[in-house]
Amino acid sequence: MKYRRILETLVFAIGLILLWQLFYTAGTQWFSIVKPYAVPNPLGVVESFLRLASDGTLIRAVGYSMMRAVIGFCISIVIGSLLGILILQFPFLRRNLKPMILGIQTLPSICWVPFAILWFGLKESAIIFVIVMGSAFSIALAVENGVNNVPPVYIKAAKTMGVTPINMYRKVILPAALPSFVGGLKQGWSFAWRALMSGEVMSASVGLGYTLMIGRDLADINQVMTVMLIIVLLGILIDKGIFSRAENHILRKRGLV
Amino acid sequence: MYLQLKEINKTFDNTDRETICNVSLEVEKGEFICIVGPSGCGKSTILNLIAGLIQPSSGEIILDGEPVKGPGADRVVMFQEAALFPWLNVMENVMFGLDAAGYGKKEQEELAEKYLRMVQLWNYKDYPIHQISGGMKQRTALARALALDSKLLLMDEPFSALDKQTINVLREELEGIWEKNKKTILYVTHSVEEAIYFADRVIVMSENPGRIREIIPIELPRPRKVENEDFVALRHQILQSVRAGVEKSMKKEFDEEVSDEV
Repeated sequence: MKYRRILETLVFAIGLILLWQLFYTAGTQWFSIVKPYAVPNPLGVVESFLRLASDGTLIRAVGYSMMRAVIGFCISIVIGSLLGILILQFPFLRRNLKPMILGIQTLPSICWVPFAILWFGLKESAIIFVIVMGSAFSIALAVENGVNNVPPVYIKAAKTMGVTPINMYRKVILPAALPSFVGGLKQGWSFAWRALMSGEVMSASVGLGYTLMIGRDLADINQVMTVMLIIVLLGILIDKGIFSRAENHILRKRGLV
Repeated sequence: MYLQLKEINKTFDNTDRETICNVSLEVEKGEFICIVGPSGCGKSTILNLIAGLIQPSSGEIILDGEPVKGPGADRVVMFQEAALFPWLNVMENVMFGLDAAGYGKKEQEELAEKYLRMVQLWNYKDYPIHQISGGMKQRTALARALALDSKLLLMDEPFSALDKQTINVLREELEGIWEKNKKTILYVTHSVEEAIYFADRVIVMSENPGRIREIIPIELPRPRKVENEDFVALRHQILQSVRAGVEKSMKKEFDEEVSDEV
């Protein structure tokens, strides 16, 4: 069964690449409706990948990008959690600040780039700032949502067993809100990853976003495509490998899947 | 007197109508009290008031000489939904309350074992909550409540979501456990049969506003048999009393119970 799934995926991927090649050949040679430099082709992308991999550009770019994403994401978790707790603690903030956060969250993170450059210059901190602005708010909302959706009967039951307020948070609310918190982290990570690209495209001197922009400047569409594919693959890898896995583990343990 | 309710009134903030009106009640230590009444008569409200989860608008509740101020481990509640924590297994759920009460790890384990054996769940101690049946969940909740050895055990229709067979088994178990440890129990139910099965005294409530209509002592020998003649007569008497206190709209529900039970 599992092998069949893998085979199926493989057939799909090969089919997609063949189709891509077909369109490329048809468009550039048979009908000559597009210029070869304007569309990437499978072989060109492989060539581009091998070149970027062999001269070390790729590994450096991935390393830097991942580092920024992780730092920005960690800061987002701290700021987002604090913000979420604040909203939870004060009804005044829940009524007034929460709608604002909901609004800010819909803002594409690239909008923060001008501020980032003005306030931090063309430095690492500017990119981190964009990441934090991109993902902290969604984490704050997830924290608030998770805690608010803890079934009241858990809290009532714990109260009648004499649980202290601190332990109520530690041993009831936190574990009860864990699934939605992890869900929030998953979403926060995907926002962070997108924000990172916005940041790097604008103001980095190394990184995946920067490598992509170099491709554009050199009119090397295959390099642009290569970087795009790597961004997608890394995104899938981290989502499936870390966040979805953790989420599934928690849900399965509680019989929610 | 062990538990005293002195002229309790309760009006919720968002309503004008009184939910509970002038309820006074005295309960002896070791008594099994059942409260029956139509839905909406405030029987669960009384339980929540004693538990300290809500505060009375006026009146006073005194347990063992101490006024009730807020929730506490001396008044454990068993809810209709078992309210077990899904991130803990059966044993850990029982240990949860003991941990809150400040017992050491070893004592927690010993007490949890004792009470899990009492409710016949020791073999399931490592099961996650979602893998046990509804009846087992309520037994786990019972073990968790008993383990705390509280002064009062408050039960809010704990068996009402279960099937008939399971209810019968659990009734016998609970009655057997109570015979042994003589806990003071306040048990809210909408089933008159259940009330007569368990209670030393049945409190019949009427609705709008909720007040005590009648207190009926049950002196049938235990364990009681539902098919016993006196049992049937009592059930008829109490059902009449309940129905007399019900508004027309609510009558239907209890008429159905009559045809269902008789």
